[in-house]
Amino acid sequence: MNVNPSGTASFATRLYRDADFWTLVTIAIVVLLAVFLILPIASVFLVSFFDADTGDLTLNNYREVFTRNYYLKGLKNTLFVGFMGTLGACLVGVPLAFFMARFRIRGKALISTLSILVLVSPPFIGAYAWIIMLGSNGFITNFFGSIGISTPTIYGAHGIILVFTLKFFPFVYLMTQTALNSVNKVFEDAAENLGCTPLQRFFKITLPLVFPAVSTGAIICFVLSIADFGTPAILGRGFRTLSTIAYSAYTSELGGKPTMAVTVSLVMMAISIFALFIQRRILSRRRYASALTNRPVIKQLSGLPNVMMHLYCYLVALIAMSPTFVVIYTSFLETSGPVFTGDYGLNSYRRVLADAPEAILNSFKFSLMAVALIAVASGLISYIIVRRDNMVSGAIDVMMMVPYLVPGVVLAIGYVTTFRTEWFNLTGTWMVIVMIFFIRRLPYGVRSTTTSIRQIKPSMEEAAINLGASPLKAYVTITLPLILPGLIVGSLMSFITAINELSSTLILYTSRTVTMPVKIYISVLDGEFGLAAALSTILLVCTGLCVYAVFRLVEDRETSFI
Amino acid sequence: MASVEIINLRKSYGNVLALSDIEIEIGTGSFYTLLGPSGCGKTTLLRTIAGFHFQDAGRILVDGVEIQNKPAHKRDVGMVFQDYAVFPHLSVEANVAFGLKQRKVPAAEMSRRVAEALRIVQLDPFAQRMPHELSGGQQQRVGLARAMVINPTVLLMDEPLSNLDAKLRVDLRAELRQIQRDLGMTTVYVTHDQEEALAMSDIVCVMYNGIIQQAASPFDIYRLPTNRFVANFVGGNNFLSATHEGGRALLKSSGSVVADVAGPAGQAIVASVRPEAVRVSPGANIKDHEVSIPVRIAGISFIGREAGVHGVTEAGENLSATVRPSAEILALAKGAEATFGFQRADMLVFEDHDTGRRL
Repeated sequence: MNVNPSGTASFATRLYRDADFWTLVTIAIVVLLAVFLILPIASVFLVSFFDADTGDLTLNNYREVFTRNYYLKGLKNTLFVGFMGTLGACLVGVPLAFFMARFRIRGKALISTLSILVLVSPPFIGAYAWIIMLGSNGFITNFFGSIGISTPTIYGAHGIILVFTLKFFPFVYLMTQTALNSVNKVFEDAAENLGCTPLQRFFKITLPLVFPAVSTGAIICFVLSIADFGTPAILGRGFRTLSTIAYSAYTSELGGKPTMAVTVSLVMMAISIFALFIQRRILSRRRYASALTNRPVIKQLSGLPNVMMHLYCYLVALIAMSPTFVVIYTSFLETSGPVFTGDYGLNSYRRVLADAPEAILNSFKFSLMAVALIAVASGLISYIIVRRDNMVSGAIDVMMMVPYLVPGVVLAIGYVTTFRTEWFNLTGTWMVIVMIFFIRRLPYGVRSTTTSIRQIKPSMEEAAINLGASPLKAYVTITLPLILPGLIVGSLMSFITAINELSSTLILYTSRTVTMPVKIYISVLDGEFGLAAALSTILLVCTGLCVYAVFRLVEDRETSFI
Repeated sequence: MASVEIINLRKSYGNVLALSDIEIEIGTGSFYTLLGPSGCGKTTLLRTIAGFHFQDAGRILVDGVEIQNKPAHKRDVGMVFQDYAVFPHLSVEANVAFGLKQRKVPAAEMSRRVAEALRIVQLDPFAQRMPHELSGGQQQRVGLARAMVINPTVLLMDEPLSNLDAKLRVDLRAELRQIQRDLGMTTVYVTHDQEEALAMSDIVCVMYNGIIQQAASPFDIYRLPTNRFVANFVGGNNFLSATHEGGRALLKSSGSVVADVAGPAGQAIVASVRPEAVRVSPGANIKDHEVSIPVRIAGISFIGREAGVHGVTEAGENLSATVRPSAEILALAKGAEATFGFQRADMLVFEDHDTGRRL
């Protein structure tokens, strides 16, 4: 053996003895993330600093975004709907969380299930369902029109804000509810003892204590609103946000360098990162250690307040779910072009089978392949994050935040600029779509699996290794069976979000790699509401089944979805 | 079973030296205990032997063969964990068979050896149970059976009893020692409980700051600690300042001569006496002791089988005695005057610092 007389191990010996299966895995993961995450983002970043025509290094692209009215308007619009949508989500979500956490409400499970379904259904379905209800030919519009009342149109900023509010409030609601459930009751008792009225107590004690959770929920709403493409694309009608500007810039620059699309997208991403940074800064000064010795009590209200509270909870859940109901209902209506004839039938489904079987097949194929990769990768990545305490594992952990912050449009354009070269062009192939699903949804799998691994004592694996199992074998025979529930939940969450992915696929798809969300989007733009409704229903059913599976697998249902 | 030799082992974490030039020899079949306060390096040493992390320098030999650079799963050393580490998704039987499976032991021999191991730890009726159906003590028996069934060269135990309640801990430690003797297993045992170390071991190795302070039989550790740290950590001790004049140690508080000392005169020294070697005489009733020191009583702690009498000397030093409780002793009031006495032969003299040498 390579040891000198004093017993000091030489470098070669150390390299040999310290390297094991996990060293190889770490290297593989670093390469994977470098190629499919860092490289595309870096290439997008580079493109934004070069002149599209001359190829010179320049800041002009950014100057243009911040000076030209077209872009400035988009920036303002994005911030406006982002802020208002987030505010709306908080105003709806926080009271709901408070009622649900602190009072006896009949059918609590139903309300939380509906909220979770709202959370996982694709946002663009909501957008076009609202068109069916409140659009210029919507049934609510027509109903009020027939009795002589004109309703406000759904198109434009307020429509987008309405959809964002109703779509994203579950994040605020679920996070706040979890926090409210773990606030130590003694704080509230102490406040009451010191003479606070219940209302004062809520604003001075309870709300500040759950502020970190509310703000985290709000930041998720904000980041998703900023990056959302489907809603403003369908409801905007001339009201442009950065994501729709980026997309149309991309389609008009097609063939050339997507310089402006990229620059606009990066500004969008910078806003998200900046918002997250601000939130972290605020939170770092508020750390509440909470030893949960006294659980909050659940009160029974009576009389009018009780009725009002129930009314509020059910109205929120039902209004938020109404797009889904509308979509399912209209999928069983006969259509003639964009017009519903009023008869019931399965023609829309027949048309799905005739026109778009490959969209369904592709969606499943791509999502399942991506999820298979995610399951394997998140099992390995979360092990390294939890068990390996070094700079590389720390860096991988940080990398897992990136896909949350990078809008689908940015990453997709990055894939185009990276994987379309003079020698090979992978854009539009199924491989690229699977890989972008994989990278974008990997954090869901990793987060759930990481939580599972943290609950397993390291001595379990050490015992297996001590008994003669190699590190790989110890992982397969001991660690893997113990984290399987977390791994399955993570995979289901990845599947739900992958099969509903729109923004990145829209940039990468070709006629042969069309997916359900893309087909729905195109159908809506073409006014093929029947086809869109039938496809959306299929998508919703798949999503619903996955949610049901998660429910069956975990005890703490609600926290799995946030 | 095999002998173990550790030569010049060193390990540091950043600037902190976790193990400093560790030299150990463990005879075949011997029960060797690493004892010390938390952070002394005992667990680091055990885990280095197991291969869960690697040394910066030095060698570990089992029966003369170097194992220090082998990966952990090829070392053939059994380990029993503080938190049991019983695989929760496998039955008791499957837990015990795990190591044999890795070694591809034939099925018939495997079931024979598993049954034998379970019989030794008295768990044979529980073979089909799942771990969550067992108590903590039973789970640790599974841990023991699982480690010894592979016939390891050395058995390593990392505070295996510290998660159990006090009564069970005492019962299981006698049983553990009996099994170890019967099977002749070379054992390295880590604990911070000095009573456990003294009761079980052939050799107790006291560690502090990553350095071995003393390795000796339990009685020698107690009777002849090599330095002040060992004298203080094992068994508890009184330390009285002394001066070094003309080859003799004089107590500062009473001026009495307590021992002959070699070495340079004038160096700062302390004299120790075990609380259990101190006699208490209420009042100023001086008996025929060689050393007697007047004290003022600071408190009495009665714990049943014995009473601690805490006094303060005229020089303001603490001096405690452990005595059989009696009505007379327990009636001593705080502030009362009494006399503590002890034999000169019960005193040891140390250099006056944390790990000062015995003189």
